Amino acid sequence: MTSAHESGAPERLPEPSPRLLLIEDDDSIAAEVAEELTTRGYDVTRAATGVEGLDHACAGQFDLMIVDRMLPELDGLTVIESVRAQRINIPVLVLSALSAVDDRVSGLKAGGDDYLTKPFAMEELAARLEALLRRPTDSRVTMLRVGPLEMDLIERRVFRNGQEIDLLPREFRLLEYMMRRPDTVLTRTMLLEDVWNYRFVPQTNLVDVHIGKLRRKIDVPGEPPLIHSIRGAGFSLRVPG
Amino acid sequence: MSRAELRFSELFRADLFRTATFRLTLAFVVAIIAGMALQFGLVYGQMSGYEQQRSTDLLQREAALLVHETPAELEYEVRERSKTDLRVILNGAALFDMSRNRIAGDIKKWPVGLEVSPKTQRLWDAPPGDTPYEMRYLAVEVEGTNGNRDRILVLARSLHMANELRYITKRAALMSVVPVVAFALMAGIFLSHRALGRIKDMHEAIDRIMDGDLHERLPTGRERDDIERLAVSVNRMLDRLEHLLDEIRDVGNDIAHDLRTPLARVKARLERVSAITNDPAALQGAIERAALDLEQCFSVITALLRIGEIENGRRRAGFAMLDLRELLAGVVDLYEPIAETEGVMLEVMDSDKPVPLFGDKDLLNEVLANLVDNAIKFTPEPGTVRLSAGQGPDGATWLQVADTGIGIAEDERKAVMGRFYRSDKSRHVPGSGLGLSLVSAILRLHGASVDIVSAHPGQALPGAVFTIHFAPPASV
Repeated sequence: MTSAHESGAPERLPEPSPRLLLIEDDDSIAAEVAEELTTRGYDVTRAATGVEGLDHACAGQFDLMIVDRMLPELDGLTVIESVRAQRINIPVLVLSALSAVDDRVSGLKAGGDDYLTKPFAMEELAARLEALLRRPTDSRVTMLRVGPLEMDLIERRVFRNGQEIDLLPREFRLLEYMMRRPDTVLTRTMLLEDVWNYRFVPQTNLVDVHIGKLRRKIDVPGEPPLIHSIRGAGFSLRVPG
Repeated sequence: MSRAELRFSELFRADLFRTATFRLTLAFVVAIIAGMALQFGLVYGQMSGYEQQRSTDLLQREAALLVHETPAELEYEVRERSKTDLRVILNGAALFDMSRNRIAGDIKKWPVGLEVSPKTQRLWDAPPGDTPYEMRYLAVEVEGTNGNRDRILVLARSLHMANELRYITKRAALMSVVPVVAFALMAGIFLSHRALGRIKDMHEAIDRIMDGDLHERLPTGRERDDIERLAVSVNRMLDRLEHLLDEIRDVGNDIAHDLRTPLARVKARLERVSAITNDPAALQGAIERAALDLEQCFSVITALLRIGEIENGRRRAGFAMLDLRELLAGVVDLYEPIAETEGVMLEVMDSDKPVPLFGDKDLLNEVLANLVDNAIKFTPEPGTVRLSAGQGPDGATWLQVADTGIGIAEDERKAVMGRFYRSDKSRHVPGSGLGLSLVSAILRLHGASVDIVSAHPGQALPGAVFTIHFAPPASV
């Protein structure tokens, strides 16, 4: 955790404040999440039931939605399906009590964009919301560029300042994921889930080792570092300055 | 306790006649009565048959003797029957002429329906003013005084023996049924009473157990009957439950301990920090380390929740056909960098044949990750961790993670799969201590078993070989 590239500053959110609809029936969780997200610059609207949430979602213009799976009156999945049926295509993060696989699958099938299980760390929630707000680079592009980094997705080659960097396939996959989401905090869980497709909390600092290896190839001495560790949250690919 | 006693005494009085033992006794009493009736019936039948035969024989033998006497002698004999031996054997004897008129003897007139025949006949006689009675008769022709066979000798024997026999048998039957039934009923009451007493003891023991005394057991040891066997079974079940409860209590203690250590550190850090408010960097560092310690608490709790969730066994929805080779390749890809930094070679078996398995990909990945994670942790540099998988001839799939590390002592192999077990050798290695219990929970969900052996027993680094045997496809 005491890396040279460490950075404590949270990412700046795009202006104006993103409007977020939080549909959660547990009052204490809702209050805690709302407070945390408000301090992080979100404009949070709370709804305690599925019906109330659906009304808000259909009436107001929101940039983002957090929906709990278990809701009174109308359950979370139905809310998402109804919202999607109205052609409201804002990103939706689904919350649920325990990480049953079928829960995750049905949550994503109903139209959720990401899935988080309780209990979760606020950093994790914030990172995921941010990732949802900044949609990753269009997957049809063949060339990714972040500052001095260039990635040729067809030839599968990576350059920094025109200098080719030799990467293993897994390092390439990791870097591609990060280059599609520059300036975004990526938590260890997000990386494990999206890059390796693993859904568990490892006992060791696996992701850190992968990042460390990649960092040694990308961030050569004398150049400004691109891969940053975000204290208590994860990592971010960012051009300094 | 006094309320329970009251309840039992009531139950005792009301339920004595409702016990299984007493009902059984009643059934037995009925059976005994039926059996005795049958027995006495048979005895009576045999005896009366014998008596009839004897009567017939006697009549015929006497007749045969008398026939050969001279007519005068015969007449005298019949006339004077009451004074001779004949009296004992015969109840009546008379001589009739061919027109059925009495010549001599104590049979007053020719019995109605009697025929001259070598066979005995049973006939009813109804003398006026007397109750009708039945006699056995024999009528044979004998020589008259004129030398012709013109007389008929009639001999009679009463059936009183048979009647007496019937009377005696009936009496004996009644006399013996009464005490037998009485004895059976008494025995039934006594046994029911005893059974009820044992049941009562058991009820009391169960009440004590329900009140929370889990060391209490049902009383046993007096005899090896069915109640006893049931009590022994119940006691075995109680032993098992007590053991499970102890285990849960231990787990609770372990959780408390595993959470207490990092929490105590957090507390100490925060206390120390509150003294040095003038140094923002130190403050920041302390908060960060406190957050890390809390993170560890979190990981313990998350792991426990996951184990609980998996053990509830409702996750089979994620099951699908998969190829174990892909899982192995994935885990190697994930763990290779860390193995490299630890100086451990990560090898994966090459196979061109797929290794099919019906299972939950995410959960099996977790199993593999935990096993590989452990293997790398406990294998000193330079070492090797080898992954392989295959399919037996019966279609059963197996999976193996073998390392060249410090190994697991034989007496610890079972315990390592339990919750929170950390071998003494591994105290210094970080981790929630729940990895392998998570593994065993997931394997139970898959109906798989695991065995642990040493690759090179006796050496300084014996190595651990975890082999997981999945059930053959038919039994899944």
